[in-house]
Amino acid sequence: MNVVAREAAHARATPRSDRYLDVAAVTKRFGAATVLKDLDISVARSEFISLLGPSGCGKTTLLRLIAGLMKPDGGRIAIGGNDLTQVPAHKRNIGVVFQNYALFPHLSVEQNVAFGLEAQRTLKAEIGGRVQNALALVRMQAFAERRISALSGGQQQRVAVARALVVKPSLLLLDEPFSALDRKLRETMQIELRHLLRDLEITSIFVTHDQDEALVMSDRIAVMNEGRIEQLGTPDEVYSSPASLHVLEFVGQSTRIGGTASASGQGGDVGIETPIGQIRASMRRNSGPTGKVVVGIRPECIALGERPGADFNEITAELADIVFFGSKTALHFKPPAMEDRIQVEVARLPSGVAPGAALKLHWPIAETMVYPTP
Amino acid sequence: MMIPRISFALCWVMLGLVLMFLFTPIVIVVAVSFTESAVFSFPPQGFSLKWYYSIRNADGLLASAWLSAQVAFISTLISLVLGTLCAIAVVRRMVPGGDAIATFMASPLMIPGLVLGIAFLQSARLIGLNDAYATLLIAHIVLTMPFIMRTVLASLSMFDFSMVDAARMLGCSYPRALWRVLVPNILPGVMSGALFAFIASFDNYPISIFLVDVHTKTLPIQLLNQLEMSPDPTVAATSALLIMATIVALIVCDRLVGLKRMTTI
Repeated sequence: MNVVAREAAHARATPRSDRYLDVAAVTKRFGAATVLKDLDISVARSEFISLLGPSGCGKTTLLRLIAGLMKPDGGRIAIGGNDLTQVPAHKRNIGVVFQNYALFPHLSVEQNVAFGLEAQRTLKAEIGGRVQNALALVRMQAFAERRISALSGGQQQRVAVARALVVKPSLLLLDEPFSALDRKLRETMQIELRHLLRDLEITSIFVTHDQDEALVMSDRIAVMNEGRIEQLGTPDEVYSSPASLHVLEFVGQSTRIGGTASASGQGGDVGIETPIGQIRASMRRNSGPTGKVVVGIRPECIALGERPGADFNEITAELADIVFFGSKTALHFKPPAMEDRIQVEVARLPSGVAPGAALKLHWPIAETMVYPTP
Repeated sequence: MMIPRISFALCWVMLGLVLMFLFTPIVIVVAVSFTESAVFSFPPQGFSLKWYYSIRNADGLLASAWLSAQVAFISTLISLVLGTLCAIAVVRRMVPGGDAIATFMASPLMIPGLVLGIAFLQSARLIGLNDAYATLLIAHIVLTMPFIMRTVLASLSMFDFSMVDAARMLGCSYPRALWRVLVPNILPGVMSGALFAFIASFDNYPISIFLVDVHTKTLPIQLLNQLEMSPDPTVAATSALLIMATIVALIVCDRLVGLKRMTTI
């Protein structure tokens, strides 16, 4: 993506100019290893941002730095203009939902939720009502007297959310809160939590390594790699216009083909020589790299059949595999000159298509992404 | 899997025999303590409390009971503090070789008491420690440590330290978070460890026998002396009181933390 496009995307992604949470040039080292390097990120009020990345990319470290459970080696963290860098965790008024919920097993559901209010010396008369309201938000009033060990995973998560929200935190941090739930429940809870947080207009930062979770829940996604933010954008931007090869690989499925880009192709496009023939990519979309490059294509952009026009790439490849998913079908092609497979997604499999058939494939040059080989 | 009826019957019979084996001596001792006769005889003849009164007059029995209680209480308390801190350091990996340290601290359980007793005696001589009370106390700290370490380590290994983080994020300072979240969660384990440690110290014979002197005798040693010199039911009365004290201690622990939670550690 070129600079102009990136700035335009950024302007779209941050309609509110206020930098509610401001993390500036934060660095964190563990011994000789630098986990975060001069990292900047700002979050608008009531925005929901995901930190997405593989394990070890520094996302949990960033979360713990914002929470105050760790001290940064450099940089500054501020909320609503107040510098919190030197403020201890217990005075930051930040809510956290931990990965394993970290509920207190020696207390009842009600007492767990009241814990924060008591620690902050809220008036006794006020506590009962606020606890009831918080439990009502997550629909857990009926379980107020229960012990934590008597709750299911989903119920525990609700209590953890209520406990974090009852103190009216200025920021909510969520550390992979869905990883302990089974798939069906996870999907329900994701939507439910998203609605709740949107209704309460609470600013949230959500750490996950699950790209689907990030795409479903976020206003914006920060894709992290090796202690840096590689791209910050809306789910659509991150998926359709990955800023780097890492983002392309980490978010969603894609076919990647190595090749060599020539200086200029026909009609202002860039031409790439690959093992499966020349592929053209639109200059408007790419910064026009030359030399060794990787071409990336999303599976749903590729269609079967001859290309309908000159703005499409076309190749012929042998069908190796058909994978049926119900709502869609994935086709895997294996050109002899390529190590990886070409992944194609179609809504419905055309009749008479079977593995071993040589088929024509086409996709728009506008949907062809090009990245320099790392 | 089907288990034949006969196996069940056999299990119940075994259970009955084991319980009988465990309880008969206790029942007999308690019964004998109420006898009127001046010798150990079962079944007891008549009913009297005179042997309970005679505990007061028996030579050194009360003094040695007081000494045993002191040594058991102080050594358990010191082990409790040192052992808990040590266990935290091991579990949080604050020191290298933590597992080796934990094993070493628990090793006195695996060494015969007589060996430990001789070792303590010789070491005390070597460093010129002549005070029987101090030597006893040091030996009993070593003796009680394994009980504390084992139970506290087990409790801490099940404790999720992210709860401490959660308490901090909810407004507790670090020490307050430990107090409000860590302590209540490991308390049942710690209490059961302390109870076992106290009992182990209180009725220890093989180590203490090497370390006592004429003026400083623990209760088990004094009881055995008494049995050799004037074998009357005073000893039975003392034993009955100890059994009662143990039952009271168990009831109190049950009320405080629940025996079920204590025994699952």
